[in-house]
Amino acid sequence: MQSDMPRRGNIHSVESLAALDGKGIRYEVFFMGCPFRCAYCHNPDTWAGEGTMHPTAEELVAKIVRYKPYFGKDGGVTLSGGEVLVQSEFALELTRLLHEKGVNVALDTSGGVPLTNSVKSLLAEADMTILDLKFYDDDGYRRYCRGGIENVLATLDFLQSRGACVWLRTVVVPGINDSEKEIEKYADIVRRYDCVSRWQLLAFHTMGFAKYDKLGIANPLAGTPALPKDRLAQLQDYADSLIGDRYGKETKSL
Amino acid sequence: MREEWQGFREGKWCDAVDVRDFIVSNYTPYTGDASFLKGATPRTEKISAKLKALLKEESDKGGVLDVDTENVSSILTYAPGYVDKDLDIIVGLQTDAPLKRAVNPFAGIRMCEKACDAYGYKMSDKVRTEFKYRTTHNDGVFRVYTEEMRAARHVGVITGLPDAYGRGRIIGDYRRVALYGMDYLIECKKADKKAYGANDMSEDNIRQLEELAKQLDFMEQLKTMAAQYGCDISRPARNAKEAVQWLYFGYLGAVKEQNGAANSIGRITTFLDIYFERDIARGELDEAGAQEIIDDLVVKLRLVRHLRTPEYNDLFAGDPTWVTTSEGGMCEDGRPMVTKTSFRILQTLYNLGSSAEPNITILWSQDLPQGFKDFCAKVSIDTDSIQYENDDVMRPVYGDDYAIACCVSAMKVGKQMQFFGARCNLAKVLLMALNGGKDEIYGIQVAPEGEVFDAGVLDYNKVLDAYKRYMSWMAKLYVNTLNVIHYMHDKYAYERLMMSLHDTDVERLMAFGICGLSVLADSLSAIKYAKVTAIKDERGLITDFKTEGDFPKYGNDDDRVDSIAKWIVESFFEELKKTKTYRGAKHTLSILTITSNVVYGKKTGSTPDGRKRGEPFAPGANPMHGRDCEGALASLNSVAKLPYSCCRDGISNTFSITPDTLGENEQDRVNKLTAMLDGYFVQDAHHLNVNVLNRQKLIDAMNDPTLYPNLTIRVSGYAVNFNKLNKNQQQEVINRTFHEKF
Repeated sequence: MQSDMPRRGNIHSVESLAALDGKGIRYEVFFMGCPFRCAYCHNPDTWAGEGTMHPTAEELVAKIVRYKPYFGKDGGVTLSGGEVLVQSEFALELTRLLHEKGVNVALDTSGGVPLTNSVKSLLAEADMTILDLKFYDDDGYRRYCRGGIENVLATLDFLQSRGACVWLRTVVVPGINDSEKEIEKYADIVRRYDCVSRWQLLAFHTMGFAKYDKLGIANPLAGTPALPKDRLAQLQDYADSLIGDRYGKETKSL
Repeated sequence: MREEWQGFREGKWCDAVDVRDFIVSNYTPYTGDASFLKGATPRTEKISAKLKALLKEESDKGGVLDVDTENVSSILTYAPGYVDKDLDIIVGLQTDAPLKRAVNPFAGIRMCEKACDAYGYKMSDKVRTEFKYRTTHNDGVFRVYTEEMRAARHVGVITGLPDAYGRGRIIGDYRRVALYGMDYLIECKKADKKAYGANDMSEDNIRQLEELAKQLDFMEQLKTMAAQYGCDISRPARNAKEAVQWLYFGYLGAVKEQNGAANSIGRITTFLDIYFERDIARGELDEAGAQEIIDDLVVKLRLVRHLRTPEYNDLFAGDPTWVTTSEGGMCEDGRPMVTKTSFRILQTLYNLGSSAEPNITILWSQDLPQGFKDFCAKVSIDTDSIQYENDDVMRPVYGDDYAIACCVSAMKVGKQMQFFGARCNLAKVLLMALNGGKDEIYGIQVAPEGEVFDAGVLDYNKVLDAYKRYMSWMAKLYVNTLNVIHYMHDKYAYERLMMSLHDTDVERLMAFGICGLSVLADSLSAIKYAKVTAIKDERGLITDFKTEGDFPKYGNDDDRVDSIAKWIVESFFEELKKTKTYRGAKHTLSILTITSNVVYGKKTGSTPDGRKRGEPFAPGANPMHGRDCEGALASLNSVAKLPYSCCRDGISNTFSITPDTLGENEQDRVNKLTAMLDGYFVQDAHHLNVNVLNRQKLIDAMNDPTLYPNLTIRVSGYAVNFNKLNKNQQQEVINRTFHEKF
């Protein structure tokens, strides 16, 4: 039996100006909790535990609608984390309320959560999904994320079946997945999903290192350098050439 | 119709001085993008190189290239000066050589002597003797200042008062010189004088008549000055080059006469564009030629200088002159007032390199053409040199022919003038309220004696009651102090030329200012929502606080504290209005600190928000650095809540963001910046300085000034060359909240 108490989110923090996770100006909500433990995670403080805010969906919506003037025709809210799908019921309620207010919602997810009904409803309700394709095989996921690829692919299959708008992102880490050969292996997966309108490579950076020290967590990549910008650009060009131009292919308008 | 006006559409402007009517009847809005613009011509490249060499020489000599210590600055004091006599298109310099500064003791001779000394010069005996028998503005003010005014000034609860230097912030309508020529303007002023002569000779009427006589004297002198450069400005300008030249002569005469803090040039490009369009239509000018003329005007504006003391530079850092120009905005008939010349003046930042002056101000409206919005955003991202003010909140108050003086002060061009009033430190007033009117640093009684709070936990309502009493005292003293200052400025340092380019029956604004808004709002919030314990020192004064628990902080779009900030400005404005102003001026209020937030912080003890004694305030209406924790837009939303209706002299906000946080590439950054500006201003916010740069770049520039000699950044309502700030000011800018994300 459900309690009469309103459902509350477990939120790490909010950021009123996020310009990189989705189209236009985004208000970003970082959810607490994550099923993965990626070696290169730059937000280890969102893995587990209690966040700084525990709002109801209505309370969060009241905060967010104050930023509608900035969203224009492209912007909106991005639900990120941690892992937003971990709190799929709360996120679904939030997304529905935001849609009532005419606010566009993007999910920024690892796809590492089993496809329960509420996860499916959330993926279907959101206007777009930005999914981290961390590795091209289960081995990579097991080795560097302490999880599997199974849920990720199931999530992509579901998004494909819905004709959803999907962006993929891959963090490129020196010495782990920064060769052309590896990019080709990713591309083999990306080509299977024509719902993907963009595949963006992100450079591994070392700016999250301070958080590991602060949290007293061992940093598995402590000696790894950041990926140089020009190398990233090279790999991005190569990746684009492998999957073809997909810009403007969004099936669900933003 | 006069022969110079052939090709213009006739209107009311032909029969009386009415520049607005001329503009509205004749201008051509431009709704396209920046692709028509042209780069620097070989001539401009040469002049630009010369300008850069001069600026470097000035900087190498410690900030002042040369001083004419023999002569007192006025319109006809100096022989004509040139950057390059053969290459100058627009001619005229303040003295006989570029960057040579003039001595201007009318507002105060001590200031001039000190400034000469500071840079290794000696004011001549000739000047000293001339002023031995003359009362300066500064002499007049100090004859009248009361003990209380002196004390308030001494402890720094009111600071930056224009009582020893020119008040500035007055914009002559320099366009009138070009459109009508001086002879017609002189004729109109003579008619006004005749009309006033028929009135009973009250004190007001006598003063008005004397002022008109002073105006007429300088109007004639301006003609002579132009003639020395070979130009006959008794008649209207015949073409674009003359229009720019005539207008600039008006401005040049004004800055030879006055050394006011901010001498802004007004809203000129839409006016000038009419001449450019006519010349281009006649086949007499092409785009490269038009750009070259604007480039050369801007070269001259970048050379404007005044002689200042080091103390002055602490308040207004970076040697600013606030040659503010106002661009864009909407016409009351619904057309954008953006013209090709609005683009051309922005283009100077590419053709001549980025620069703090002129202080290019975009009058932003939701309805501006997208091409112009995009170009402005691109210029911001590339140069950090321009600022934005909300035309949609100013137009209903000031119409569509207002301009910005200094940083954020709007006024109708040629119809309104301002009595500049610097600012008072409302955070310090809180400490005075707790200490029964005593200053927490000097320990002296400044305000009337009142109840001294006990050491222990502070009660919000009790603090608020005391604060209201002291705020009321402060407001009354502040108005009266400014009344003294402006009475004396009118008497001893009247702006003859600038005022001659105003309607005789001018409307006056008295501009008050607040600093310490975010410190005060957060302090009151701390007392209300957390537990604040007052701690006394050995003198029995409250000089420190222990603050336990969290409290809402201004800058997070949190109404609990934002409503306190709003209450502060509303109630202070109400208090100010209770005291009558000199000459019936209208009370206005700004939340602007220029760079004096550093000095104000120095002069203010520890505050209940956790700020320690001496630490800088946030600039203008900005939230305190590091306290806005929900990101950039939350901070903008808090500032947007401050009501322009009671802050009509402007609400300044400075915003710095790293390029990578703003967007992925140039187009993306442009789109996001315009969306951000639209979103901020649609909430009736007033002003935004935009910097798009990396904090590391500033740190590098601080450690090695030769790395970025022209690094320009927006501070509080104006731009400065970063290398002209002192180390404290540089550090404070670096500490300011940078919105960045990994």
